[in-house]
Amino acid sequence: MILRSFRFVDLETPVEYFNTWLTPVAHFFVRNHMYEPTQLDAKEWRLSVGGEVEKPLTLSLAELSKIETHSVVNTLECAGNGRSLHRPQVPGIQWGKGAVGTARFSGPRLRDVLQHAGVKSTGKHLMFRGLDEVPGKVPPFIRSIPLEKALDADTLLATHMNGLPLTKHHGFPARALVPGWIGAASCKWLTEIKVLEAEFAGNFMSPAYRLPNQPVKPGEAIKPEDTHPVTALSVKSVISGPGDGSTLKTGQVTVRGAAWAGEADIAKVEISTDEGITWSPAKLGHEQARYAWRLWSYDWKAAKPGDYTILSRATDSLGRTQPDTPVWNPSGYLYNAIDQVNIHVAVA
Amino acid sequence: MSRSRKFTSQEKSLPVTLLRGVFAIALLAPAAASPFWARAQKSASPNVTADLPAGSMQAKATTACLECHEARIILQQRLSKPAWAKEVDKMTKWGAVVDPADRDALIDYLSANFSPDKPAYQPQRTSGGKGGTR
Repeated sequence: MILRSFRFVDLETPVEYFNTWLTPVAHFFVRNHMYEPTQLDAKEWRLSVGGEVEKPLTLSLAELSKIETHSVVNTLECAGNGRSLHRPQVPGIQWGKGAVGTARFSGPRLRDVLQHAGVKSTGKHLMFRGLDEVPGKVPPFIRSIPLEKALDADTLLATHMNGLPLTKHHGFPARALVPGWIGAASCKWLTEIKVLEAEFAGNFMSPAYRLPNQPVKPGEAIKPEDTHPVTALSVKSVISGPGDGSTLKTGQVTVRGAAWAGEADIAKVEISTDEGITWSPAKLGHEQARYAWRLWSYDWKAAKPGDYTILSRATDSLGRTQPDTPVWNPSGYLYNAIDQVNIHVAVA
Repeated sequence: MSRSRKFTSQEKSLPVTLLRGVFAIALLAPAAASPFWARAQKSASPNVTADLPAGSMQAKATTACLECHEARIILQQRLSKPAWAKEVDKMTKWGAVVDPADRDALIDYLSANFSPDKPAYQPQRTSGGKGGTR
């Protein structure tokens, strides 16, 4: 894994690992704002559900596991994935392209738990709080999602990832799984759910994790009311091979990668080997699920030796296409420019 | 609530990797004379900690910043002076202990070492580039 930080733990998946539809847990990126909980015990763990509900609840892991389980294959991506590629640079973990992965998340539907508690008509947003440990006077990592998304049949209280109990890095014993949305929505080490009348007011809802409503220039002042929370992921593709900077031999070259679009589906992925003059469709992999990426491949005949730039461009079911140039924003969220690798082709 | 209980999930692997890194860096200690970014590229196995660069503010920056997070979070930034000022003020609000008399010098130190014109930080990989945290 690419080591962005040990304290707090932030690990990035090298793009060459994006060659399986499900990312092995050991190679799944890890993003923490805070310290992981130092001590966790499945037997002692409790999840409280309160706020604007008729009947506040406290659930043990054993009680949670008695609720019907549902599985969702979801591509989870950090909002800051690709931040290092923005110019001018912006502060934050300088992710390359690998703060993303796809896994099968399983656990009870959040709405089934909320049904037990009975959401009052005044409840409009749902707050998640985890057990991560906050240093100094740092605001706790608390965020909220609109009730509508919380009640979606695919929004889970996930206890398993790729068929195994969650690891500590990924939120053991239970995490939220808000499919198609930025990773920050899927709170880890979940311990408290609170139904609120309004969006949670705290650092990680505002000013963090917000995008300007209109494109802004670096240094331009932005009023809070001219921003909105980052929610669903953008359309994006990444080339997993050949690797950037690699040398290949003339002949058949298979270009591979993955493409995803949050709550939308991938409609097509196109490849260019002539710096964007012409584009050809890539073949999409047969494995698919609503919130999961599609693997893709493109067979290219590298006839002549020389230096080449290979580009990949995804388009989704909403008609969104990756932009030629990244959409800059002050925190470097949702980087999704057309991907590229530079390679050298030598005589076979 | 459950903070006082023993952690029982199965993920025990990363610390093993970390320990290997500790031994590796102990052997590599003489390399400390080279710039930090060169050391980061050369060491075969990631060390647990990295140092902030030399300078009159090194010790104070270490105390103020590394109390809560490690140096790599700083080493990988490439920011303008106004952006560093914003970060320092935010972190001071969040508990970093910075004497008001040291604020400007700390901002100067960070923006001198981690400005946009510096070469990109080269991150290490866990498990010698094989990619595992198993």
